[in-house]
Amino acid sequence: MLKMVVCIKQVPMVSELPWDPATGTLQRDLAEGMMNPACRSALDAALRIKETEGGEITAITMGPPMAEEVLREAIALGADRGVLLTDRKMAGADTSVTSNTLARAIEKACSGFELVLYGFSTSDSETAQVGPQLAEELDIPGVAYVDEIEVSEGTVRMRRISDHFLETLEMDLPGIVTVTTGHYAPRHVPLGGLQAAFAAANIVSLDAAAVGLDPEWIGAKGSATKIRNVYSPTAGKKNIVLTGAPKRIVEQLFERFDDKIGGAIGKDLKTDKNSK
Amino acid sequence: MDFNPCMKHKVVRKAVRMFAEAELGPIAHDIDRDARFPREVVEKMRPLNFFGLQAPKAYGGAEIDTISYAIVIEEISRISAAVGLCLTVHNSVGIYPIVSFGTEEQKKRFLPAMTGGERIGAFCLTEANAGSDADGVETVAVRDGNDYVINGTKIFVTNGGVCGTALIFAVTDTQNPQRSAGVFIVEKGNPGFAVGEIEDLCGMRANPVSSLFLEECRVPETNLLGCPGDGLKIGLATLDAGRIGIAAQALGLAQAAFEDSVRYSKERQQFKKAISSFQTIQNYLADMATEIDAARLLLYRACAVRDAGRPFGAEAAMAKLYCSATATRVTNTAVQIHGGYGYSKEYDVERYFRDAKVTEIYEGTSEVQRMVISRAVLARRT
Repeated sequence: MLKMVVCIKQVPMVSELPWDPATGTLQRDLAEGMMNPACRSALDAALRIKETEGGEITAITMGPPMAEEVLREAIALGADRGVLLTDRKMAGADTSVTSNTLARAIEKACSGFELVLYGFSTSDSETAQVGPQLAEELDIPGVAYVDEIEVSEGTVRMRRISDHFLETLEMDLPGIVTVTTGHYAPRHVPLGGLQAAFAAANIVSLDAAAVGLDPEWIGAKGSATKIRNVYSPTAGKKNIVLTGAPKRIVEQLFERFDDKIGGAIGKDLKTDKNSK
Repeated sequence: MDFNPCMKHKVVRKAVRMFAEAELGPIAHDIDRDARFPREVVEKMRPLNFFGLQAPKAYGGAEIDTISYAIVIEEISRISAAVGLCLTVHNSVGIYPIVSFGTEEQKKRFLPAMTGGERIGAFCLTEANAGSDADGVETVAVRDGNDYVINGTKIFVTNGGVCGTALIFAVTDTQNPQRSAGVFIVEKGNPGFAVGEIEDLCGMRANPVSSLFLEECRVPETNLLGCPGDGLKIGLATLDAGRIGIAAQALGLAQAAFEDSVRYSKERQQFKKAISSFQTIQNYLADMATEIDAARLLLYRACAVRDAGRPFGAEAAMAKLYCSATATRVTNTAVQIHGGYGYSKEYDVERYFRDAKVTEIYEGTSEVQRMVISRAVLARRT
């Protein structure tokens, strides 16, 4: 039976993102959490493999205790068990430390794993680094930005769009695949599944000591990356008033914007003007 | 006493909100305008257990608790109250009587198709001369061998135009209506059972509310819930459960109107300021928020009493009375805050305003709720 691990992350809910306009920062403590969209696609890929080929799915997440929500949701959708990595010491980890923590936890709690599925990127930090780094940490092959995936007899076949080419790749297992949101549409959560996931679900909670992490190599303490500032990019605009007779206004318009007007109508106006 | 929602209720709300915003959000305005029942969304709801919310797992239900049930109806109604109405009527007054009063044979025969959403349920009490007064029912079911032959006309049947399984309230003895009332299960396709014209109503327009005609409609006696004479008991118990759903629906409407009002008041500029900076608008918003919060607490209290297995009739009546009154007041204020735009079909608050009124009328009018509450109050020792 194919043993799959799906790494999922709880991210702030986009529709209810509380943004402090004064400082331009995200008020994370006020935000409701949701499963990261690409993680939903990775989970959907695993569920489809389970539906056609059979297999067992372990969902694993690292985060505050509230992150248990996304594990219950994953179980409601069809995952078999959940692993919650939660410990205040793990907070503030950069991508390198996160991938190390996840790798050690997968080795510890998901022995015999064959296929690790990962969302290609998260909506709250967008680095797309943890998946590929996880392949390094686990010392297994990995393919990133995969749109579609099939498994047969210990081999995965993947399709992805790369530099406008459609690539088809094959990889032996064990291996890790990061999945885009292109092909796999997230499923809605069935209410009966949710009820069952809360009534009785196989979820283990592990802290840093239980995973056996090196105390120097966890959380903000072990992270080389320091985030200095997070802000909302602002786009400025100013009004330009063109004055004079209509002919003069049109001339000014072309003087200022001939590139843009030319671009819009597909004509090089500068050459046109010069040739006259 | 803990007023914080538990993790399950938070996740249920998020899951349903995500579904409602994605699948109903883009069409909610159009289905109201076109008075169209959104079958394509119903098809998506079926595998997600929306049609078997509290029914036992053994018959295909999700068996969720009553607070979760209220949250589901609230969140669907926040986007489309007409679809919320379809769900609550189907789940509470359609399925609940069969679950509570049906025989094992009846449950096996009727429930799986209903919990799977293949057959949508309806409960038919109201007639031209009966509604709040259940004794006025004129639909008659006459015993004929092992069958009953039903004749009569039901009006204002929610889900009427799309129902697959209708529970018909009828009397078996016209001389003694109260003692002979029964609830009969009649399925679509049964000869003599026909759907009348869809009603042209003020709100809830995406729900095909209609009349139902029963003309020499013959059903086996195994389609009678309980015994002749159990009708009133079944009807009253059903309405207690139904009121929780309508209260949740009203709450969802109020919540939607409130959120739109907050957003609009921050965007709308008058006298070179956002109107949310004016004290009058702030007072409106404060009252709306307070009433919605109070309504929500009353509703969840009624749900918790029901889940604890205690009588919840008075609590459900209070929740229904207050939630529906809150919905009409809040949607009215929301239109006021939106000004002329609020009166325009371009904005959703006009729809909420039309939808809200009926929550004070169906599933027991506000006057009937007060009767139920006052009886409970007067029966208590002071």
